[in-house]
Amino acid sequence: METSINDISALISGFDRLGYVIDEELATVVFLLLKLRKPILVEGNPGIGKTELANMLARLLDTQLIRLQCYEGLDVNAAVYEWNYQKQLLGIKIQEHSTLNEAEKEKNIFSEDYLLKRPLLQSISAKDKAPVLLIDEIDRTDEEFEAFLLELLSEFQITIPELGTIKAQHVPYVILTSNRTRELSDALKRRCLYHWVDYPSMEKELAIVYKRFPAIEHKLATQIVHFIQALRQKKLQKTPGVSETLDWALSLMTLGYHTLDEQAIARTYGCILKSTDDIRMLQEEGVESLLIV
Amino acid sequence: MKIDTPSLTRALIGFAQFARSKGLNVGVEETFTALRAVDLGVFENKAVFYYTLKAIFCCNKDDLPLFDHLFGIYWETKNDDTRKKSQHKIINPQHLPKQQSVLSAWGLGNGEQKQEEDSKTVTGGNATVRLRKTDFSKVAEMDASILEDIAEKLWREMSKRLKRRMKRRHTRETIDLRRTIRASLQHGGDPIELRHRGKKPRKMRLVILLDVSGSMDKYSFFLLRFVWALQSYFEQVESFVFSTQLRCITEALKTKGLEKTLKMLTPQADNWSSGTKIGECLKSFNEQYASRILTRSSMVIVLSDGLDTGEKGVLEGEIQKIRRKTRRLIWLNPLKGMTNYEPSARGMSEALPYVDYFRSAHNLESMLELEDLLCSL
Repeated sequence: METSINDISALISGFDRLGYVIDEELATVVFLLLKLRKPILVEGNPGIGKTELANMLARLLDTQLIRLQCYEGLDVNAAVYEWNYQKQLLGIKIQEHSTLNEAEKEKNIFSEDYLLKRPLLQSISAKDKAPVLLIDEIDRTDEEFEAFLLELLSEFQITIPELGTIKAQHVPYVILTSNRTRELSDALKRRCLYHWVDYPSMEKELAIVYKRFPAIEHKLATQIVHFIQALRQKKLQKTPGVSETLDWALSLMTLGYHTLDEQAIARTYGCILKSTDDIRMLQEEGVESLLIV
Repeated sequence: MKIDTPSLTRALIGFAQFARSKGLNVGVEETFTALRAVDLGVFENKAVFYYTLKAIFCCNKDDLPLFDHLFGIYWETKNDDTRKKSQHKIINPQHLPKQQSVLSAWGLGNGEQKQEEDSKTVTGGNATVRLRKTDFSKVAEMDASILEDIAEKLWREMSKRLKRRMKRRHTRETIDLRRTIRASLQHGGDPIELRHRGKKPRKMRLVILLDVSGSMDKYSFFLLRFVWALQSYFEQVESFVFSTQLRCITEALKTKGLEKTLKMLTPQADNWSSGTKIGECLKSFNEQYASRILTRSSMVIVLSDGLDTGEKGVLEGEIQKIRRKTRRLIWLNPLKGMTNYEPSARGMSEALPYVDYFRSAHNLESMLELEDLLCSL
């Protein structure tokens, strides 16, 4: 429960218990989200745990996570609500010979039973406690949708013409993520607390690896993290994120490697590099310079 | 930490005003939020105070270096009651990632400039605006990499916008049953309004001919990046480079990537600087590729200064052939950006009658203006 989190260190240790390494800065921002109920906008490169943050927060607060994955052309029907019109058509047929008058019939087919709740409506109609609403990759939507979101985030209410206005009983904790493929509108950004996540430092990444795989051998973990950190300095098409590091560590452990060598890397390129150009570049340049023994 | 609230409130409002005057986009709402955050009274240390203000006052990655700078100035040098209580060294922004070092350099570099100028822009804003208008050939070594970044970002955005606009156009083909039924509801179930579903329109085919001769040396580097940006978002882009010979680089760009293609081209461009045979090159384009590539729906962009050293008349004939087979022919000439430029070079004047659009391409701004052209097709 949120009431048990009264300071930032409680938040950090809470996340720590769940196996999520969080630094003081991000913890501060999350704390402000909890206390001020302002949405947070988390920007950063792909694969560094932006989405995971929302997951973990929901677990920490022991509440529901509602996720809206954005894409180009996302519209109100897919994001907020839609009338289940097939069901409505059937409803009309069923009611045809009933003794109800027209107004009652209409009221029937525009009742909540016929409403398909999409993530945004779900998030404000939660009954018992405030959910975590994750609006993922907001930069992929159109500007029109952004404008709509702006309205929702300031009022936390949605008007359905046939039903009336639904106001949130519990204001959700909103986390927006963006990969910065497009600049978001100023108005939306100003509604939010801003946080930029960068690739983690060597120490932090190592801590993440240990947290996730407590059984990993010390040498292997160090080599993996060192390699990835060095790799990020190169000009790549797709720079590996933390999720790649974790995938790679798991793969190497599964394959039974105790140390990292050229052969091990050659077998597992696919875990860290997701573009043929990058793989070719690494093969040509060799991996010696990135390896520590 | 015990905080003397009234004086902290005053100091915070002062900081908000200070930040606003220096170009951060901080309004009353942000200040208010900051005060609310202070009321929570949870600042265990200076770091948390710094993080809190940062999250509230910044709304963009580019704001961060400026914020750090301002935070340092205000909270470390201002000597009032609040300051005395926070004697410890406040976070220094050393942990910022290396990509931002460039930006922070701007932030500091712009410091004096900002005093005089209207300060509504964020950090780097001035530099961006300045670089957007700088002629490619006059970009200083130091700025080149910054310009590359801006260019890549802007061109990527442009490609995206173009892509989106094209998707919106629907051609009527089949009836969309689902949406038709939906629409029929308001007419009592009678499908009065038919809704249609169309195929996504085919992406336009773009053919780019880029001059990499000695005279274009300074420009071709950036223009190739432009080509790359277009190519990575439009599937049907064919790109060629020419100076004395024509060469197709579509495959090279696709498989080798931009950096390698650039490297591959550089030594050759040097050798070729002897002269440009635009006419000859267009001729070999017409002979080898035109029939396969050019259609009535394709658009051809020639990026060249039009300084032709080949035989007279060849260019005219070839450009005419190309024009006949395409929908639009655009000629981008970096020299057009110069004041007093007249297209009097022989090559240019031969080509001009057949060109639909004759534009300049000497800086970012002018390249971005192409967007309108590209989407009007």
